[in-house]
Amino acid sequence: MAEISFHNVTKRYGQTVAVDNASFTVADNEFFCLFGPPLSGKTTMLRLILGLERPDEGEILIDGRRVNEVSPARRNIAMVFQNLALFPHMTAEQNVRFPLVERGEAEAVIGARLKDAAAKLHIGHVLHKMPAQLSGGERQRVAIARALVRDPVAFLMDDPISALDARLREETRVELKRIQREAGRTLIYVTHDQEEAMSVADRMAILERGAIRQIGRPVDIYDHPASAYVAQLLGAPAMNILPVAMVQGGGGVIRLEGLAPAGTAEIGIRPEDIRVGAHDGHGAVAKVWEVEPLGGTTVVTLDVGGRMLRALMRGQPDIRVATAVTLSVDLGRAHFFGAGGQALRRA
Amino acid sequence: MRRSPAFEAFRYAAILLACAITLVPILWMVSMAFKPIAEWQATGADLTWFPKEPTLDNFRYIFGESGSNLIVALDRTAAKPILSSLLSASLGTLIAMAAGTSAAYGLSRFGAGGNLPLALIQLRLFPPMAVMIPVMMMWSFLNLMDTWWGLALIYGIVTLPFAFWLMKTFFDDMPREIEEAALVEGCSRGRVFWRITLPMMRAPLASAALFVFILNWSDYLIALLLTTREWVTIPVYMASLSSSMTGQLYGAKAALGLIAAVPPVFLGIMIQRHLVRGLTFGALKQ
Repeated sequence: MAEISFHNVTKRYGQTVAVDNASFTVADNEFFCLFGPPLSGKTTMLRLILGLERPDEGEILIDGRRVNEVSPARRNIAMVFQNLALFPHMTAEQNVRFPLVERGEAEAVIGARLKDAAAKLHIGHVLHKMPAQLSGGERQRVAIARALVRDPVAFLMDDPISALDARLREETRVELKRIQREAGRTLIYVTHDQEEAMSVADRMAILERGAIRQIGRPVDIYDHPASAYVAQLLGAPAMNILPVAMVQGGGGVIRLEGLAPAGTAEIGIRPEDIRVGAHDGHGAVAKVWEVEPLGGTTVVTLDVGGRMLRALMRGQPDIRVATAVTLSVDLGRAHFFGAGGQALRRA
Repeated sequence: MRRSPAFEAFRYAAILLACAITLVPILWMVSMAFKPIAEWQATGADLTWFPKEPTLDNFRYIFGESGSNLIVALDRTAAKPILSSLLSASLGTLIAMAAGTSAAYGLSRFGAGGNLPLALIQLRLFPPMAVMIPVMMMWSFLNLMDTWWGLALIYGIVTLPFAFWLMKTFFDDMPREIEEAALVEGCSRGRVFWRITLPMMRAPLASAALFVFILNWSDYLIALLLTTREWVTIPVYMASLSSSMTGQLYGAKAALGLIAAVPPVFLGIMIQRHLVRGLTFGALKQ
């Protein structure tokens, strides 16, 4: 049970600023996601929480206590590394027992906890094997079991399921959520997969070059992104961002039903909010460039004066490549960004 | 790709030739070790691949029994040189591996001693002959001349760069997250080294140690200059195996050579399982 806070934490490696004046608080029992592109400082933040790195500036607090100088072993935080970092010279069982053995637990306690963790992660049948003999999914379960076995105050996971295939990944992330709920522990989860971040996190932080750009519930961030950068990171296909002139006014290609706020430089439209209609002979046209039917939905790529837009449509609409169509969007569904990329509110 | 029969024939001929160049001298040494003195210098039709009358006389001879009246008994047997070689090469390997491994770990993990690799290159670039005379002076000042421990010390110093480089490559290839996981799970730095790093490094350590041991074991120059009588090593002793009456004692040398080949081969077989893994450790993605 732990609340973890960053207060104006900065970490530099030489000239590179890996974490840039970051402040946030992860509540007790929260499933918190750090999300951003590669090299945005996600992993460094985890390493700072673990104590594998020391901040150059600022404070890190665990349950209100400053831990900047506390060694990793004394923080009682468990970690699942991106490459899992199993001990290759020990069996799966020895791997899972390791944290308890190193903490000098009684053999009876170790046995019970091992059994418990093995049952939770369904690895009882592979405990005698060496890591090299395990499949990717089994390895990852053993790594999670090793983190789970000793009842830490918080779990950190650095993209632990990125190495798995898509189906296993979906299964595992549902299970992770269940495990976190049952364990009743804070979980800080790093990922670069927006779908994963949105599906598991209670709250998430969006990172860009070491700085936190927005913190909130995934759906809130999705609906109210603070900037064009954040808006484009969430959602697949990504949000279309267009210069305002293309959307409204005489030369506009997409018909916006309403007026954009003053100072709007760019308009963002989510693919699912673009309405594609047959060309009625009026206004500018878009050309269908590519149609990707995905079964339940269809992604349509549109060529609008040389700029590619993507629209997400339900079902399998009757749209053919190279035909002309008209596009429109509701004022309420559009996002408005100023010249600096910051989100603007509708008047 | 299909190769023509002519190419295949050529390929196998080349392989056979390469094997012959490598293996025939060894075979010749083994054969010579069991030849009686009469066959040592046979020529023409008398020269045979295998001993006509195999004998252990050569082995008896170097250990002090004069099995033949053609040559006088040696005043010194091979026993002590063998002991000298074993002790000095083993302790030298231990010194090089202990110091080299520590240095490699410090540099690989903590960047300690960043200029060390350069210094070690310079040490290796120095012509050994140029440093041996000063070393002789130092060793005689320290009373280390003609002792196996004095030899071991210089062996440790000379082979340290090899131990360092080999181990550094292995440490660099070991994912640091594995050690960090142990840190997070409750180990101190020192404990991580003993519980995680060293056990994982068993195979690389064994390969590097064998390599260093072979270098020390086959040294001639250093032992020639630093030992005079008491603790001469096998190579130095072997060079002295000649007599004024019969010239080179080929059979005795071959017998000693055969004995000298035993420890490296024995060690190699012992750690063979590790050796394959150790030498390919960096090449394979885990």
